Amino acid sequence: MHVLEAKGIVMEFGGLKALDNVSIAVDKADFFGFFGPNGAGKSTLIKILTGQLEPTSGSVDVLGIDVVKEPLKVKELIGIVPEVESPPTYLTGYEYLYFVGKVRNLDNLDDRIEKWLSFFDLEAKKGTICKDMSKGMRQKLMLASAFIHEPALLFMDEPFINLDPIYQRILKDYLEEYIAKGGTVFMASHILEISEKLCNKLAIVNLGKVVAQGSIDDLLKGDENLERLFLRSVGVRPGKGE
Amino acid sequence: MLKEEFRTHSSYSGRSRFLTFPVFVFVLSLGSGLTIDKMLETISLEQFATFTHLSAFIYGLSVGAFGVMGREYLERRYGRSNYLVAMPFLLPISFRTTFLGIYLRDAVFYIVLLLVPATLGLVAAAPFMGFSLVSIGLFFIAILMTFMLGLSLSFLASVVYIRNVPAFVALTAAIAFAFILHGFLGFIDLEALIPSFGFQMSVRPFESDPAAAALGSLITVVAAVLMTALAYSLVEVRLSVHSQLYPSILPAYHARFRAFKGLNRALISKEFVDLRRSGTVAKMFFAFVLPLLFLSFTAWFVNYGLAIPVGFNSVFYAAMVGFVGVLMYNWLNNIDLAEYYSLLPVTVPQLIKVRIVVFLLLTLGISAFFVVAISILNGETDLLLLALLVMFITSLYTVVMTAYLTGLKTNSFLFDTSVLMKFSVMSFLPDLCLTILSFSLFVNWMVALAGIGIVLFSLGMSTLFLYRGIDRKWSGAAF
Repeated sequence: MHVLEAKGIVMEFGGLKALDNVSIAVDKADFFGFFGPNGAGKSTLIKILTGQLEPTSGSVDVLGIDVVKEPLKVKELIGIVPEVESPPTYLTGYEYLYFVGKVRNLDNLDDRIEKWLSFFDLEAKKGTICKDMSKGMRQKLMLASAFIHEPALLFMDEPFINLDPIYQRILKDYLEEYIAKGGTVFMASHILEISEKLCNKLAIVNLGKVVAQGSIDDLLKGDENLERLFLRSVGVRPGKGE
Repeated sequence: MLKEEFRTHSSYSGRSRFLTFPVFVFVLSLGSGLTIDKMLETISLEQFATFTHLSAFIYGLSVGAFGVMGREYLERRYGRSNYLVAMPFLLPISFRTTFLGIYLRDAVFYIVLLLVPATLGLVAAAPFMGFSLVSIGLFFIAILMTFMLGLSLSFLASVVYIRNVPAFVALTAAIAFAFILHGFLGFIDLEALIPSFGFQMSVRPFESDPAAAALGSLITVVAAVLMTALAYSLVEVRLSVHSQLYPSILPAYHARFRAFKGLNRALISKEFVDLRRSGTVAKMFFAFVLPLLFLSFTAWFVNYGLAIPVGFNSVFYAAMVGFVGVLMYNWLNNIDLAEYYSLLPVTVPQLIKVRIVVFLLLTLGISAFFVVAISILNGETDLLLLALLVMFITSLYTVVMTAYLTGLKTNSFLFDTSVLMKFSVMSFLPDLCLTILSFSLFVNWMVALAGIGIVLFSLGMSTLFLYRGIDRKWSGAAF
């Protein structure tokens, strides 16, 4: 049984089709990469899959729950890292994690907060309010808030953006371990180098349509890498420098 | 900038609905113009002009608080939206020029949106009521000057606030003191405080004194230009991004609100931390306490200053206090963005309901204090219980009705004509009934009491109905 199955998703904004008949299936312990040019519809699809946006038509099933009918139930089970890091302006890092923990009704909250503040090296700044944080700190906080309840399925929209190379590596290692333990990741990213090492399945979307989908091993031809596969799929020929 | 303002407001209600807002103002003004005869049976034209100018002045003050708002736009990083006020960070343009642009944008935006259609409404009523077009033109000029005076003063005050809070407090206190000297003690004429009102009183249909009119308009224009120039020269953008560490107060608030359970407890605690850290307590003073003070002053002024025998009593006052609440609910929705809630198992209706509770926790004590104070001052302690009941039910009804109609985006939805129409009818009708019935208390108390009982019962039932309707109406809405 798939942990995520979207069928025939159509999303229209004022007559403009942002997504056109998109179908995707993700299995348990998959690291599913979702790629596409700017404005292709990646963030829109993540919002639909996580119950933040209702599609014009189509169905989405996440962890056995109909997302369109029960978005709240789905949000209880999953973790979401949004494209734009936007934690509440006036809470400190500690308070935001405390707030998320209380909203999610988590046990051992202090231990969890301590663990994730320490993991992202935010302990010394746990009293800084979010508006005074750097983009990197805010991104770390958004990641911590998505991980704190140890969800079975993570949706991440550009999770490596704003992180320094050290934390890109730390996050990459954590996600590999998370998958090894049976977790599932659905990730949209433009950082193809990291994605190629992490993903076992992928879909490429262009102008709202899925133009390639499957296991990464099946999709790559010969010695092709993810970058070349991406460019080929969206109809762009590599430049002279390639 | 005008386009940005237009798109920000119209993004919630739609372009066509937003554009019907000036039409609504026109119709309202036309209606007022056509029924002015009835109004003038109770108050004089001069008193009507006084209220109109005071309203325009306060409106200008409220619009011009962008000196502070501008900084908040920058600090909040407005989620996915970016505002032109942040331009100087990226483009070779100074903050002074940008702020002057905002000042002119707000002036043009609200003049076109409100003052012009209101004036056109009076022009349309002129053939039926025999108004002189010259008088209407002069009225427009006078009101425009008053609005600009308020806007310039507010612009200056908000810029001073950013540079020096004690200086801002001193400036605010001085202005409040001047109005107290005028209102309660009668030491200063309104013409001295708002010279454009002096202009109004010197031209048709009041007097025909060109010298006084010229002086009034000259002083107003010079004062507005001077305040704007001073504000322009003082503009300073200080982003308070610093390394200050704050103690974790959220757990303490969470422990304090143990009367609430689960999700509501977490949300209410967070709202109170936001209120404290965002400095909304000071803004609350302007949004809630100041209007209540103004209302108290008006009630006192009409009863004792103007000695108009309309019977403003504690019950009438309590109803008005209840209806002022909408301003405070609006502030609660403006403290911070709510986009991050979409990542959590929280719905828009849940947050709306929590803000209703926060509103009640914040305001009921203050409202009760004002009602008790006015009852004692008016020597109407026998009406106190009834007044408190009226205040409580109208407060609850007003906030629930506003929340039902506008959700978490009160400011923007009230520019949607269809929402504004519903809001106007739903607040005006009970307000009118309670006003008439409260005036009748000293004439036929039994009938008045029964009538007030029926109105309060209807408001209570409506509140229940609307409160339940919040789930249905806003469940599919995005944060």
